[in-house]
Amino acid sequence: MSVITIDHVSKQYGNVTVLEDFHDEFKDGEFVTLLGPSGCGKTTMLRMLAGFEKPTSGEIRLDGRVVSSADTFVPPEKRGIGMVFQSYAVWPHMNVFDNVAYPLKIQKKSKAEIKERTERVLEAVHLSQYITRMPSELSGGQQQRVALGRALIAQPKVLLLDEPLSNLDAKLRERMCFEIKEIQQRFGITVVYVTHDQNEAMTMSDRVFVINSGVVQQSGSPIDIYQHPANQFVADFVGKVNLLKGVSENGTIRLTGVNDILPYDGPLTGPVDVMIRPEKIQIVPGEAHLKAVMLREFFMGDFDDCRVRSGEKDLRIIAGADTFGKFEPGSEVGLEITDFRVFPESAEDYTKILT
Amino acid sequence: MKSKSRFRFDVKWAVILAIIAFLLVFQVLPLLYLTIRAFFPEGRFSMEGLKRIYSYALNRSCLVNTLIVSAMSMVFGILISFPLAWLVGRTNLYGRKFFRTLFVTTYMVPPYVGAMAWLRLLNPTVGTLNVFLKNLFHLSALPFNIYTRGGLIWVLTTFYYPYAFITISRALENMDPTMEEASRISGASPLKTLFTVTIPLMLPSIIAAGLLVFVAAMSCYGIPSIIGAPGKIYTVTTRIAEYVSIGSAEGLTDATSLAFFLMVLALIILYISERVLARKNYITISGKSMRPAIVDLGRFRIPITILVALFAVVVILIPFGTVFATSLTMNMGKSVFAAGNLTTKYWKTIFSRSSIFKSAANSLLYASLAASFGMVICLIMAYLSERTNVKGKSIPNFLITVGSGTPSVVIALALIMTMSGRFGINIYNTLFIMVIAYMIKYMLMGLRTVGSAYSQVSPSLEEAAQISGAGWIRRLTDVLFPLIIPSIVAGWFLIFMPSFYELTMSNLLYSSNTETLGVELYLYQTYHSQQTASAMAGAILILVMVFNFLMGKLSKGKFSI
Amino acid sequence: MKKKALSLILTACMALGLCACGGSSSSQSAASDQPAEAAEAGAENTEADAAEAGAETADASANTDVSGKVVIYTSMYEDIIEDMEKDLKDVFPNLEIEFFQGGSGTLQSKIAAEMDSGKMGCDILMLAEPSYALELKEKGMLHPYKYAETDKLLFDYDEEGYWYPVRVLNMVLGYNPDLYNKEELPKTFKEFAEDSSVKDMISMSNPLTSGSAYSSVVALYDLYGEDYFKALGQQNVAIESGSVALTKLETGECKQIMVLEESILKKREEEGSALEAIYPEDGTIAIPSPIMIVDEKVSANANIAACEAVEDYFLSPAGQQLIIKGWMYGVRSDVKDYPYDGSPVTDLIPKFIPVDWEKCYKERDAIRGMFQNHVTVPAE
Repeated sequence: MSVITIDHVSKQYGNVTVLEDFHDEFKDGEFVTLLGPSGCGKTTMLRMLAGFEKPTSGEIRLDGRVVSSADTFVPPEKRGIGMVFQSYAVWPHMNVFDNVAYPLKIQKKSKAEIKERTERVLEAVHLSQYITRMPSELSGGQQQRVALGRALIAQPKVLLLDEPLSNLDAKLRERMCFEIKEIQQRFGITVVYVTHDQNEAMTMSDRVFVINSGVVQQSGSPIDIYQHPANQFVADFVGKVNLLKGVSENGTIRLTGVNDILPYDGPLTGPVDVMIRPEKIQIVPGEAHLKAVMLREFFMGDFDDCRVRSGEKDLRIIAGADTFGKFEPGSEVGLEITDFRVFPESAEDYTKILT
Repeated sequence: MKSKSRFRFDVKWAVILAIIAFLLVFQVLPLLYLTIRAFFPEGRFSMEGLKRIYSYALNRSCLVNTLIVSAMSMVFGILISFPLAWLVGRTNLYGRKFFRTLFVTTYMVPPYVGAMAWLRLLNPTVGTLNVFLKNLFHLSALPFNIYTRGGLIWVLTTFYYPYAFITISRALENMDPTMEEASRISGASPLKTLFTVTIPLMLPSIIAAGLLVFVAAMSCYGIPSIIGAPGKIYTVTTRIAEYVSIGSAEGLTDATSLAFFLMVLALIILYISERVLARKNYITISGKSMRPAIVDLGRFRIPITILVALFAVVVILIPFGTVFATSLTMNMGKSVFAAGNLTTKYWKTIFSRSSIFKSAANSLLYASLAASFGMVICLIMAYLSERTNVKGKSIPNFLITVGSGTPSVVIALALIMTMSGRFGINIYNTLFIMVIAYMIKYMLMGLRTVGSAYSQVSPSLEEAAQISGAGWIRRLTDVLFPLIIPSIVAGWFLIFMPSFYELTMSNLLYSSNTETLGVELYLYQTYHSQQTASAMAGAILILVMVFNFLMGKLSKGKFSI
Repeated sequence: MKKKALSLILTACMALGLCACGGSSSSQSAASDQPAEAAEAGAENTEADAAEAGAETADASANTDVSGKVVIYTSMYEDIIEDMEKDLKDVFPNLEIEFFQGGSGTLQSKIAAEMDSGKMGCDILMLAEPSYALELKEKGMLHPYKYAETDKLLFDYDEEGYWYPVRVLNMVLGYNPDLYNKEELPKTFKEFAEDSSVKDMISMSNPLTSGSAYSSVVALYDLYGEDYFKALGQQNVAIESGSVALTKLETGECKQIMVLEESILKKREEEGSALEAIYPEDGTIAIPSPIMIVDEKVSANANIAACEAVEDYFLSPAGQQLIIKGWMYGVRSDVKDYPYDGSPVTDLIPKFIPVDWEKCYKERDAIRGMFQNHVTVPAE
């Protein structure tokens, strides 16, 4: 049992609010990801869970026990939490075994038990053959596993991961994603995972919190977030998106700069923002009422990433891999928009945040 | 570095408060008492005393001398130390390890003895080296005059550059080599990398090192009294000695008024260095492990090694050789090699005195106590200022800096006045008063060394231990301290060594059971036996070298300077 | 000269020592060993032999009554003190005597700090010169004691008994005959300040930190006036500690220095040094260093009876022998011995330049300022 309750938690540094009124509950065994651009407050939230930071207001409970509130504070070492740091924080003066065994030594376990459990964990993180190596003799990925092993060894109720994969190469990152997920399921622990990488979030999470400027934009399952983003920011941050302006009237939306009218029966009228996922635009053969010019395309193996120009706008289209090479650059293609989301118009250009 | 548990009462704060209380009682109280005496001569606030002291032309020229001499020693100390530390720590210079040990030896010799050696070598009438150079190059006059400001700066620099050398060496060794590699890959030459990456990254350590040299030089009495006085170059410390020696209450007050200048100066230097370092956050030991990079000197390897060796000869071999030669000379008017002039009687003298072993044992004990307690305070206080965000976290820093900037004689007298019962504490004539005096005077060396080491350790390493369940003490002993152990050892030695042969304070504070080597040394000084004093300095040097060598061997190089 | 002094000392030792001691085989070759042996011989015999000091014998029987602890601050050499401790142990078997040795300047600053704290760390002072005694007396720090044999004292003492001279330091000129010819060097203090052939190559102690140097400055000031110090400043005399000056004399860096005779005599006897003292023809400067008892209220052990007994002992012929052994001159007319290679004190007395101790004390700031202005301050 390990439920994390975050009760209206806010954090300010001086006059700067870095996290505003975070209020939710992470369920037992849940894999929760805090997703957002750097500086959004996700790491602050994680560090408050760990106890390295104190909330300015609000309360944090672990399994109902208050660990942070106005008048209670349980220091990190008393919280029984595992954590993996972005920089790994593997102690350079201890070998692999000592690094991983450290939490057990703190708990004053018997030598035999420490040995047995450490070896088991090292097995789980695939480090058995490096047991006496010093960290300086390990690769980045191996150091990462040491950090993970150390976080897991005390069988914590909660595991916190602070952008643990950001220093790894893509291949390794992907593999670690699955390993982490597998370990989480095997150990049955609650995981709070901080990342700015939506792929990591999508792969592993039961629930994703998208955070921007200290405010939770949306929380939900990866599918939910992807398919039903609550606002432009979420839509943009999670997955790829084409942003267009339009005007809603009489059950339709007239796109600005693109010669198309979309059917719309939503409540919004007047100027709106329209978000279209690249894979929701299809290249259709033959005659189509929305026309575009192929600019260039990138073969990605499993799909074809195209840029086309329609009217005054450049659009991104994800098409099937077999589409690649069918259209010369400069040739005309017909398009069909199969799905889109409509948001109230916002002056902000969300695509800027990503870059 | 953000604050963690700010309001909780726990072990951490209990320890920190205890140390602050200790500093308040044993350091602030005595110095404050003296300062108050200077400003409130008749119970009322008055600047008259200060005005009188500072309006005196001679005193003003002393202030100027002290400023110039200390500042120049600092500049030269760093100019010497940085290249040496870099060559010894980061290049494939021949004999790196040997040079490394060699370059710290000057601070293992009491400045008084070393100054006498330089005086013999470079005096303008019959200086040995002077005469040698004159004959070598057929000069019309002796080339050097040690009794000048330049001479004083030279001797101070050769004595105090090891403070900078040790501090900078430690930091260089801990630096993340990828930062330099990044510069190289961006197209910068090794030299360009040195100036654009290494030196800026090393700035906190360089400034800390400079502060140490400056404070040591400005509060030094032994060297200016020997080198400065004959050339009529007086410093604040020599003037203070003159005021103090009157043996009257007014003399003490006047001395304090002058000492006040040094305290303020120390604070200004500290303030400047803190300001410069305000934006520092050069974490170089992160949780990612790496290997140190060694720069290949290429075709310059041999010439540079020769240059370094030459420096060692001039700064270390010649003066130390002079010390040893003096200790073996019967008649100092003749060369040590003149017929019948070689003698071991002075060495026999020092080993035949029964009190010398007791004094050595006492010194060993007191200096070890001062270094150990001092390091505990330094480790905790540096933690306070580097790792927490408490208001006033830099106050201990200031206190310790003021202590070091205060001339020894003033510290000792302040301790006598306040620690002999007036305020309910009577430790006069005990070993504690000496240990405390040493701590006040030399803790800064430890603090700066540890402080710059802390700033290089990523907080996440400590947090990783904390999340593993380790309490504050365990985090320090399991993670933080082991990571900076070289700096801890260096800091310990930096307090230990000067305490070991400390002379001025020991002479005022010792009692019949607490005689120290410094007292013995002073004895031979007043006995007008330069040879015996040299023999003793030589013995101390050999002793420390052996000690250092053994420690290095036993700990496989970890525990040595 | 040297031979004569040696035999005199030997004679003294024989007279003082036990038969066993006197029979020591190496007596001719190692003069420096002799005083130590004499010291070991014990003081009771000394007193018995010193027939003229009848009062001492009476005291000796009472010495067992002297008990407790007494702390003495002194600027005498430590190895003299070691000998003294042995003797004193025999004379006062029940009294614990502790010496604290240091330079006069160091001790005076220590004492000043102690006075500030309200409690002294000692009971007896044997340091500095009479003007310091005058100062302490005026401050009420001293205990008056009437010494019985003041008629035997050759030097000024305090009529009320606050201080007595106990040893005499002699300020002379020193040179190194190995390197420089005596005939070419100044023979008077006046020439020392005026002879251009020694310019830049002379040295003296700092009167601002050394009591004996300060006394000498006062004496020469009285004798020659302010001009003397103007000349001294022109000579570019180095102002530094005696030990540094002596080293410079040995290495030849200095041709001549103003120095206490004791330091040269000590070097001659202990190290066989060639350094020699020149007694300036315009006189030498005698600095009678006082012994003082600290007032009971502020003293460390409030052991006045013991302090008086110890003071008696130091002023007695037996105590004076210890002083003379330490290369200083005695203060008694009935002690004929004098330091190794020194001269009988009665021969020296007529040539002493008088020092006005009241003036030393009262006009200290003015005289220090005068000296600084002419000698210390860098020539602009």
